[in-house]
Amino acid sequence: MQQSLGRRAALGGALALPLAASLPRTARAIDPGLIAAARQEGTVVWYSTLIVNQLVRPAAEAFMKKYPGINVQYSRQTVGEIVLKISNESRAGKLVADVFDGSSGIFASIPRSMVAAYATENAADYDPDMRDPAGTWTTVNSYVYTTGYNTEMVAEKDAPKTFQDLLDPKWRGKMAITTDPTVNGPPGLVGTILTGMGKKDGMEFLRRLGEQNLVYVPASQRVVLDQVIAGQYPIGLMIINYHAVISAAQGAPCAWIKMEPVVESFNYLQILKDAPHPNAARLLAEFLLSREGQTLFRDNDYLPGNHFVQAKDPTLKPSFGKFRSTQMTIEQAQNLPEWTRIADALLKK
Amino acid sequence: MSATARLAKNPFLPLALGLILVLAALVLPPVWMLIRGSLTLANPDGSSGAWTLEHFTRLFADQTLLTSTANSVLFAVSATLVSLLFGGILAWVVERTNAPLKPLAYLTTIVSLGTPYILYVSAWLYLFGRNGPFNDAYRSITGNTDMLFNVFSLWGMVLVEGFLWSPLVFLMLSANFRAANAEMEEAARMSGASVFATIWRISIKLAGPAILAMALFVFIRNLESFDVPVLIGMPGHVRLLTTDIYTSVTQTPPQMGHASAFAVLMLAMVAVLLYFYGRITRHAERYASVTGKGYRPRPFNLGRWRWAAGGLIGFNFVIILLLPLLALVWTSLLPFVRPMRLKFLPLLTTKHFAVVLGSPPFLQLGINTLIVAAGAATIAVLLTLLAGWLAARRRPGGGVLDQLATMPLVFPGIVLGLAMMELALALPVPIYGTLWLICIAYVVRYMPYGLRYSYAGVLQIHRELEEAAGVAGATVAQRLRFVVAPLLSPAIVSAWLFIFLIASKELSMAILLAGPTSQVMSVAMFEMWTNGQGGELSALGLIWTLLMTVGASLFYLTLRRQGGGAFGH
Repeated sequence: MQQSLGRRAALGGALALPLAASLPRTARAIDPGLIAAARQEGTVVWYSTLIVNQLVRPAAEAFMKKYPGINVQYSRQTVGEIVLKISNESRAGKLVADVFDGSSGIFASIPRSMVAAYATENAADYDPDMRDPAGTWTTVNSYVYTTGYNTEMVAEKDAPKTFQDLLDPKWRGKMAITTDPTVNGPPGLVGTILTGMGKKDGMEFLRRLGEQNLVYVPASQRVVLDQVIAGQYPIGLMIINYHAVISAAQGAPCAWIKMEPVVESFNYLQILKDAPHPNAARLLAEFLLSREGQTLFRDNDYLPGNHFVQAKDPTLKPSFGKFRSTQMTIEQAQNLPEWTRIADALLKK
Repeated sequence: MSATARLAKNPFLPLALGLILVLAALVLPPVWMLIRGSLTLANPDGSSGAWTLEHFTRLFADQTLLTSTANSVLFAVSATLVSLLFGGILAWVVERTNAPLKPLAYLTTIVSLGTPYILYVSAWLYLFGRNGPFNDAYRSITGNTDMLFNVFSLWGMVLVEGFLWSPLVFLMLSANFRAANAEMEEAARMSGASVFATIWRISIKLAGPAILAMALFVFIRNLESFDVPVLIGMPGHVRLLTTDIYTSVTQTPPQMGHASAFAVLMLAMVAVLLYFYGRITRHAERYASVTGKGYRPRPFNLGRWRWAAGGLIGFNFVIILLLPLLALVWTSLLPFVRPMRLKFLPLLTTKHFAVVLGSPPFLQLGINTLIVAAGAATIAVLLTLLAGWLAARRRPGGGVLDQLATMPLVFPGIVLGLAMMELALALPVPIYGTLWLICIAYVVRYMPYGLRYSYAGVLQIHRELEEAAGVAGATVAQRLRFVVAPLLSPAIVSAWLFIFLIASKELSMAILLAGPTSQVMSVAMFEMWTNGQGGELSALGLIWTLLMTVGASLFYLTLRRQGGGAFGH
């Protein structure tokens, strides 16, 4: 199915660096007509699931510096809130948002007829599976969700290595997980288990995992890891691997585990068809997808989607780090309602 | 009878009719949105489609509804009792006795009312959590590896919610105890009644309507409470009705029909409660103790109980103010959350403060929040001052006004937020995504609270004062301006302060209504918490709490002095 072991590693690892060196370093030229039209509009509104102070604000500031006179207004929300707002605005014929991003679950809730096709100048920078052939979305960055632990409470040799290890009675009531109701939360964990173990063994495993009494933390994956660091829980499930690396570098007692298959999830950038500022929206999308914009993602420790902007530590990606993943693609996200039902029945209790 | 004659006979009628129109325009459309939402299927584009009873059948068919309802009621009743006992005793001790340390009680109340709930809850969770100082000390002392207590339980929730609302109970009841006539207490004492008999038979009985009104409001607020059930109940596997709603609202796509059906159910429950409340306060005049006769509350001499009362004030100060503040200071100075131990002192850093102070958007957030909260408080107090007066005096239309202004109580915040959002989108005026919309939503939501203040305040003023003014030829406006408003000023001040402070922390509506250009502090803080920026949140929270405290105490002190003057001291 969606299991990939170094699928892009061959392409990425072998070709990316020489290619990058041979290509011009400067950003691709943006149509001056687009810039002028965007300036006329003066504003662009971005609904984002990315974290404001880590990415949205620096990106908005860099954009405004590059294109003075175009104001970026942003609002950080969960996928559910973005869907709610956009569908309501659209229903009343008063769209406020121009650009939005979110994980694959967003596709089931926002009709394709509402989003615009945009031919990005930077399309060639993105691998074919990272962009829509019809041009309605591009993968702006990706995430790896896996298991992490507190290194003061759990010695490396005692840490769980496989999903089966999580069933050890000593972890009962001591594993935390986010409530995020998307492929980046419990439904995604269900998805990777069922994909990796098959339906029968997978369901049996999930039933037993549910008996371990998982603690649902009503916040993001970052908060789960912070509570692990704080010693509230020794184990965190579905945490983002690069978060553990960033915190460990600051001296926090935490580490991540290659618990295969990990969940690999993508953040899709889209533009609304009836966007009030269509040109400024395209210009912002161009900027975020350009090598310059993607470098901002890299510098803030995110995993960029652009083929030619490598992550600070590429081995955090399954393709480079040589570990198996379940990719939460748009097709996979069609299982989200089913996975949510299973997660609620077996894991949430 | 001609219209002029009718007007001359009842000069209150135009005022009442005008007010009814304004309140109806504010309150009824969201109620309609709610009922329609509960009875229609949502189309894929989010609009409402065919009529259905499906949301209700699903709600009642769900086996967990009973568990969630039982948990919700148990939680709301217990937390109300905790707030009422703790806040009520404290208010009486501070307002009516010669207990020491009184300034600490005001300080605690003012600071706590300015502190966003999310800060409180996260601070208490840190303090009482697995690695907080209490459980940490327990493990170091006993060598045990487990916890002394688990805050993630129903009783942990009750305690936190009870403490969360006790400052409000204190604020409301202290206004009441301050204004009530002390002569009755003194008479009881002189007739040989013990301290406790006096409290039970005089003080509590006199404050009866106020206590009941407040108990009801705190109960309803607990029933629809959002922060504690989500932050403490969900990790503790304690299901409440609000957490069920929260989960259905945040699913993709959101299950708003389910949430609306719940709200309609709650409307019915609250309507029943309000009916009983109306029956209890029907003969409210016998509680009127602010009369034209001279009075001056004198402190009650507690004798040897004086220091026990001081101890209570001190306990309140430590648990509601000092410890949470210490926890915030500690977490704001650490790069990531660590237990309170000396060995982590070298890690201390001011980087979170640098980030917060160095970001211009935070200033804008503060300004937005102050504008919205002050605007909502002013409008809501003006409307409910008039409505409460007409209602308490049983003028024509008073009953309708009472019901209209009380109706928003039945809305869980998140459902009212959704209803207001849909309304704004349906209206031809471009109000969606602006601060205006948030401000109007706050007015609707907090009118019931303003009304209770003014209603209870008017009940305590004897009719004879107004009647004297009427006999002397004063118009309606003059009676309001020169008799009612000055006498009510403690209630007005308390109401304004309360709505201002509570609006500045409101989260569940603002989270749906705040647009990119109309962000407010509570939403930003919630996002910081859910994004894992705990250190920055603590730093921002400390700065914001300090600011709100300075503002709140200045305002409180100034107007309290004026309020005192109005009573002819």
